[in-house]
Amino acid sequence: MAEVKRIYGRTEFPGKVTAEALVAPKYLQGFTNVSPWQGFTTERNHPLYRIPYTDKVLVFYSPRGSGGFLAYGFGKKPAAFVHTKSSPLTVGCMLQAHVPSMTDFDEDPLPYIESGDTVFVNADEGYIEITKKEK
Amino acid sequence: MSYDFPTLTDEEKRIYQGEEGIVKQKCMQYLVEMCQISGATRLVDLDGTGDMHTPGLALSQFYQITLDELADFADNGGRFAIPTFANKSPFGEQPPIDGWEKCNICGQQNPEWRQDDPAFHKKAMHEDEFAVLRKMGMMTTHSCANYLTMSYLPSVGQHCSWFESSQMPYCNATLGARTNFDGTLATCLLGKAPYYDMHITENRYGTILVEVDRKIKTDLEWDVYGFTVGEAVDVEVPIVTGTSRPTTTQYQKFNSAMSTGGAVRMYHLPGITPEAPTIGFAAGGKHIAKTISIDNAALRRNYDILNFHTSNDVDMVYLGCPHLNIVDLMKLAGKLDGKKVKIPLWIMTAPWLYPQAKALGYTEIFEKAGAHLMSGACLAAMGAVPQGVRSIAVDTAKQAYYITGCYPDENDPLQVCYGSSDDCIDAAITGKWHGEWR
Repeated sequence: MAEVKRIYGRTEFPGKVTAEALVAPKYLQGFTNVSPWQGFTTERNHPLYRIPYTDKVLVFYSPRGSGGFLAYGFGKKPAAFVHTKSSPLTVGCMLQAHVPSMTDFDEDPLPYIESGDTVFVNADEGYIEITKKEK
Repeated sequence: MSYDFPTLTDEEKRIYQGEEGIVKQKCMQYLVEMCQISGATRLVDLDGTGDMHTPGLALSQFYQITLDELADFADNGGRFAIPTFANKSPFGEQPPIDGWEKCNICGQQNPEWRQDDPAFHKKAMHEDEFAVLRKMGMMTTHSCANYLTMSYLPSVGQHCSWFESSQMPYCNATLGARTNFDGTLATCLLGKAPYYDMHITENRYGTILVEVDRKIKTDLEWDVYGFTVGEAVDVEVPIVTGTSRPTTTQYQKFNSAMSTGGAVRMYHLPGITPEAPTIGFAAGGKHIAKTISIDNAALRRNYDILNFHTSNDVDMVYLGCPHLNIVDLMKLAGKLDGKKVKIPLWIMTAPWLYPQAKALGYTEIFEKAGAHLMSGACLAAMGAVPQGVRSIAVDTAKQAYYITGCYPDENDPLQVCYGSSDDCIDAAITGKWHGEWR
């Protein structure tokens, strides 16, 4: 049976969902550098350039740049957000997205989660559970 | 796990329960949700200024105020609680306020949104909405750099509610006032904002010391340094050393570049910015746990990243991100006087500076040179370039980094030449890019 790791954090927006993780190894940027209607980042040179995030748990350190980061909360949005650092940019995004979101964890989950892992985001009870993908 | 309901005063509870009408109720409900998301336990009364930049009258997809509701509020004496200025057009069309007649592009690449079409322009100005907002007291400055023209700057320590990434550090670091990224109808109308992050003194202290091995003096150096510091610190509060005393232009570039490379809403320049008489004071008397050293190689690397072109042919030049101040316009007019551009050169300033530029003769100089002055918009925000333009020269990291996002086509991406204002002027006159990191 696959190992499950649970990490507690702060709920940015409540709700529960289980979905595949998509991990951004670099800050995410909104405004023109995301296409909410297509559901992928359009930032040049970004590792997630044109990789769909729709219905996935989008995992990242924190956003940078414009308040237009809130565009990640529109259209073909992720199923949930998991991020290391919160800021007014993530607050603005969650006001739009209204999907489960967690941040400010007891232990930074970013080094542990890889794209393709399964993440249960239980923002109602304040934790996430990561199940590693089969190698 | 938190997501707790904040503590509200009796007055705030009455508003939340709708006793002061539907408009104030929706605004308060939205602020309560913002508290829950941010972890703020209460609201703070604003005593500074507001910079509002909300899409239409929708606070979010879940809190929408109709024009009829707002008009009724205004007719019954409803006003903004704090002096409130309009950021760039908050509507999707993003029309230039002045100079739109020669803005030959389709907004957001939508063929029905021709910016130079008088009928479209009239519609895109949303006068119905702005007439109500003005009645409520909004001053329609329509700039991403409202601090240039608002003539009513907040003082040190005043609580504000601004929008626009480049304005966050201008308010917090340059002016020493306090804002989060929340300049909306809700905050400006109620004069309240969630009390978290930059409103709290402890969160404003520097946590990282940044050093550089080259004295930062020129506008381009400030811009590249800003992007580099931003990437290095993201949401931390850096204490930045190694610079000259910045001009207003350099503040504009540094602030916008830091909030492009990262999400810096507060920083300190020891001996320069108001909350940093010394490094120790900027750190709140605490030990600074981390030092970042930036060398010339790192600056050059980011200069190269901000350049995104395979050819030195340039089709167009755009200056005015953030909106140019009056000294920028004066210098630009001096450099273009008697010259002739070979390719389109678009210049963007704040609407309240546009009449001054005209009165001072700059607009005429620009027109004789073949350049075009506009106000109140932004090329990246309009989401398009003129037909046939595939390579553009710009002088700020912010525009350089966002304009390509409008064209996510792997086979035909928009190319960007990035460098100094003088490099851009040279490109406008020659059609070639000669800029380099020196």
